[in-house]
Amino acid sequence: MELFAQRAPWWVAGPLIGLVIVGLLWVANQPLGAVGAYVELHRYFKQPRGVPPWRVFFLGGLILGGLLSALVAGGVHPGLGWQAGWGSEPWFKGAALLAGGTLMGFGARIAGGCTAGHGMCGTSLGSPGSFVATGTFMAAAIAGAHILSWVTA
Amino acid sequence: MKIGLAGLLFGVLFGFTLGWAQLTEQQAIRDMLLLRDPYAFLMMGSGVATAFLGTRLLRWRKARALVDGKPVSWTISAPKKEHVWGSVLFGAGWALALACPGPVTAQLGRGQVGVLLTVAGLISGVALAARFKERKANEAAAVTVPVL
Repeated sequence: MELFAQRAPWWVAGPLIGLVIVGLLWVANQPLGAVGAYVELHRYFKQPRGVPPWRVFFLGGLILGGLLSALVAGGVHPGLGWQAGWGSEPWFKGAALLAGGTLMGFGARIAGGCTAGHGMCGTSLGSPGSFVATGTFMAAAIAGAHILSWVTA
Repeated sequence: MKIGLAGLLFGVLFGFTLGWAQLTEQQAIRDMLLLRDPYAFLMMGSGVATAFLGTRLLRWRKARALVDGKPVSWTISAPKKEHVWGSVLFGAGWALALACPGPVTAQLGRGQVGVLLTVAGLISGVALAARFKERKANEAAAVTVPVL
């Protein structure tokens, strides 16, 4: 579909995610968060008992939603998805993903949230800790990207 | 079970929107963090504004959660040093991987299998942090025992 093949205007995508935050609170009384779902997934791996926690279903939904967004935009085109990554060597691009993922998992677990949990949900709820976390990771990521762009140029 | 279904549904909406917004592309995050395209910042800002209004409305109307009828509520946190040093690491990881935990999960659904490396990293990072926190808690307990 033509509509979905084009990038959603920011004033559509942003409010949609805002509605996800409001909806999750209204329906399930739970704050939005992505890294928290990986925390629950890891816990469930270690002790798989009973029905998985709801955040594991949320992760499944994220995958399905991604699939759906590709289907309506003209189909899934499988690939590595790291072509626009740093450097030119494939091993370097892959290593950056693995190292980046590990740093994100560790850091967000310590900080209590990621871009979704602190950056969008916590800030909209007026949590001072979330404002500090968001300001910090935005500054770190912007600085990091500039350094990586300069080093790998 | 009802809450699992709600999780699935909102996950689909979140993942779909991230894909439609093309934030599942490394290039988009690169342009965001190198301050070449304001799109992602505008999207986040308008999302926070919408959620701010919506959640205040829930509180004002004294809304009850649909799954269990309990009053809708949330907790906020005072700034701690963990918010700072944890987020420094998170931000560095975000710049390296050019995708944060939400979008990277949606990327899996879009067939970008290379990001399995990011996901593997996320899970090991979360596991490492759990062990780190456990050790810290044990140290704190060891210190407080003589006092008791």
